[in-house]
Amino acid sequence: MTTTRIVVWSIGLLFLLAGEGRAGERARVLMLHAFNYSFPATSVIAEAARKRLIEHSKSVEIDAEFLDLARNSDEAHSLQVATYIRDKYEKDPPNLVITLGSNALPFVIKYRNMLPGIPVVFASISPQTYAALQPPPEMTGIITAFDLAKTLALAERLQPQARRLFVIAGSGETDRRWQPIARKMIAERGSKFETTFLFELPYSELVTELSKVPNDAIVILLTVFADPEGKTFVPAQVAADLSALSPAPVYGPYDSFVGRGAVGGFVETFESIGVAAAEMAIEILGGADPATLAPRTNPAQHYRVDYRAMQRWNLKEKDLPPNTVVLFKKPTIWDEYRGSVLSALFVLGLQTIILGALLVQRRRRQRVEELLKESDERMTFAAAAANIGLWQFDRDTDELWVTDHGRVLFGLPNDAPLTREAFLAAVHPDDLETASRSLRKSFRTERSIASDVRIVLPSGKTRWIRMRARSYAESNGEPKQLGGIFVDITDQKSAEAETALQRVEIEHLMRVSVLGELSGSIAHEVNQPLTAILSNAQAALHLLKQNSPDLVEIRDALEDIVHEDNRAGEVIHRLRGLLKKGERKMESVNVNDLVRSTVRLLHSELIGRDISLRLDLDHGSSLTRGDSVQLQQVLLNLVMNAMDAMASTPIAQRSILISTREAKTGMVDVLVKDRGHGIPPKENGRLFEPFYTTKAHGLGLGLALCSTIIEAHQGKLTLVNGEDGGAVAGLSLPAQQPAVSAV
Amino acid sequence: MTGMFTVYLVDDDPGVLKSFSRLLRAKGYDVKPYSSPQAFLEEHDEAIPGCALLDVSMPDLDGLEIQDVLITASGSHRPIVFVTGKGDIPTSVRAMKAGAIDFLTKPVKDQDLFEALSRAEAMDTELRRLRSEQDVMQAKVRSLTPREREVLTHVVAGRLNKQIAGELGTVEKTIKVHRSRMMEKLGIRTVADLVRMAEKLNPSK
Repeated sequence: MTTTRIVVWSIGLLFLLAGEGRAGERARVLMLHAFNYSFPATSVIAEAARKRLIEHSKSVEIDAEFLDLARNSDEAHSLQVATYIRDKYEKDPPNLVITLGSNALPFVIKYRNMLPGIPVVFASISPQTYAALQPPPEMTGIITAFDLAKTLALAERLQPQARRLFVIAGSGETDRRWQPIARKMIAERGSKFETTFLFELPYSELVTELSKVPNDAIVILLTVFADPEGKTFVPAQVAADLSALSPAPVYGPYDSFVGRGAVGGFVETFESIGVAAAEMAIEILGGADPATLAPRTNPAQHYRVDYRAMQRWNLKEKDLPPNTVVLFKKPTIWDEYRGSVLSALFVLGLQTIILGALLVQRRRRQRVEELLKESDERMTFAAAAANIGLWQFDRDTDELWVTDHGRVLFGLPNDAPLTREAFLAAVHPDDLETASRSLRKSFRTERSIASDVRIVLPSGKTRWIRMRARSYAESNGEPKQLGGIFVDITDQKSAEAETALQRVEIEHLMRVSVLGELSGSIAHEVNQPLTAILSNAQAALHLLKQNSPDLVEIRDALEDIVHEDNRAGEVIHRLRGLLKKGERKMESVNVNDLVRSTVRLLHSELIGRDISLRLDLDHGSSLTRGDSVQLQQVLLNLVMNAMDAMASTPIAQRSILISTREAKTGMVDVLVKDRGHGIPPKENGRLFEPFYTTKAHGLGLGLALCSTIIEAHQGKLTLVNGEDGGAVAGLSLPAQQPAVSAV
Repeated sequence: MTGMFTVYLVDDDPGVLKSFSRLLRAKGYDVKPYSSPQAFLEEHDEAIPGCALLDVSMPDLDGLEIQDVLITASGSHRPIVFVTGKGDIPTSVRAMKAGAIDFLTKPVKDQDLFEALSRAEAMDTELRRLRSEQDVMQAKVRSLTPREREVLTHVVAGRLNKQIAGELGTVEKTIKVHRSRMMEKLGIRTVADLVRMAEKLNPSK
């Protein structure tokens, strides 16, 4: 499969290549170097041209020949080379020739027939050379116009203090062409400088002279291809060597000098020459007639300096003319890797921030952990101090967590396993049901459930614990966590018990005090039946003394004695009930009976105070649930109050109406209405306050106590002014359905 | 003791009322029991010999108020015995000052009760006797002629026959005739008896 695909691809590729071959004529360009390959100038030009050509068309084929004219300037060599080239390219001549180096063009013109009819594009030809050669029309190219004045101008700008000028040129062909150009240029610039022309000197002498040059002078290096002693040189190398030993800055018109020690000059780059020549070659290859293409001057000339050299001679960058290209300026890390540095700095910054944040977070976490620990300790301590145990129970794992104090509360040893059973085992058997029910209930609701249970400690003592539990709903709504507190409420419970005891005491005392007030009347109530008993007994005795005693009458008398005795007994019983001290006992109470019984107790008192009493009792069952003694106490109090209120009422008007009604609201109402002075407005609302009294010898506990009792019966005690004077005391108690054991 | 002595018994307590009734009847009294003072006052008959046995503390009208109504308002001479559950001194003083025979405290011993009742009976008998003597005398006085009555008045006033004759514009002899006839009609022999009789008839003078 893979093999097949490769084969198919290869075939496709072959077609593509074949198509390319047919589409464009294969162009061959021959590059003729004036010197050998070691000359940087020509090499750079050739390379730039080659790149441009290849860039234009990949099918360009490039050949190169090195004429080596600098070393061998004799005729025989030239002819030999020309012949060699003719023979080499005769069969397959190139489409175009590019000459590199000024000496190559005269060679090509001289040996025209070497490559007959082939267009020639030259490069690096001075205007003077071009004018002198007068090339045939098929030869055109790039003329290099050296502007030596500008190179000098550069030197002047960088060294405004310089007074001495040294100009160097060798004794080669090109060197000699430069000599008059330089003289002329300097002459034109006027006599600003004291100029020394170091022309035609043997190289060693040149070196000696140059080393003596003052360091504030300007040295302009033209070309040194050869010296009078016949030595040949590569000018770029000369530039390097001379720059190295020159005390003063060295300038030159060639780009190849820049980078080899010279400061720089007004130069064209060899690359730009190569590119310009290649452009022309492409036009000609494209079909343009070279005869119609006039030679062009390379426009890409500018100031180029070597920053390192400037540094060496202490030249200021700010003195450079505008648009100067500064080479080899050792870029700072910032310049070179600005992006990377920025990224690195950014990353570093980011890392620092993250690191910082992490550190801060770590610190915070540690702080929070410490706080949490402290808080935990504080909470545990506070809970223990408040006699509270904290606990949590997991329903799934059946695991129980309890604070140490929680254990203590339950009297569990430290090594006892924490399970629900262990805790429930400590609960008093009577309260076990309460505890389990409370826990079950907690799981069903999120509300906090509290229940009070007794714990039996190992010592046998009992402790009251309030268990408060709350479930925590999970995300699915099914609660499995149960948490809460254990509070030791033993003290509270005993205080409650004590309070209840005190309440019972007070209630009892109040009853006793009321009965004390009534003692005369009550004595009368007992006295009446006693009187009847005595009289009946005596009557019976008298009857018995008679000759024929009336036995029927005697029996009646005895029966009456029994009856009256019962009546006295009832009074005593009622009294005993009221005088009894005891816990509240809830039972079914007939309110009407309660009223009647109370009124009976007050019978004599009412008569004594000339007060008439009327009853208007409901015909229904009028049942409620409560403690009959306490309820009677309340009624007694209300009626006594009513009687007291009528002390200054005219005798004829003194009356009390007691009515009972079973209200539709499920309450049984008892109303005690008097014809007294009513409730003064300023006292309204204060009457139920403990120790508030309007009576000369009152304790101020009566109504407060009544109110407490009625509230304990889920009832309500009210006191208002009646519509036609007097006060109406109202007593509302929850009605009980007669179906439930109406006793 | 006699079958003709009636006790008006008033007590609001039915048990007490019944037992007292029984006791008194066993002792031979005629008993008229009332549980309310009003009923007693309505049925009370001054002519019937007897006494009232009243309970002090009763609704509407108490024993002392009944006494007040009976003696002061009606001018009755009915002897009254009080019984009370709570024998307080101010009440008993008030009752005794108003002419009560006794003030008994419940429960009442039968001897105390009977003793009080017999005193009441004695008083009632005495009062009735006095009242019947007066009645006889008054009838005799009523049988006198106007002239004899005039002479009686003057004799009682201690005047001599001559003074009376002068006063009446007649002679001493005529007065003597009137005087002897008046004495004869009244069944009185001496002037002293006459004066005593006059005092009995008209105690206010």
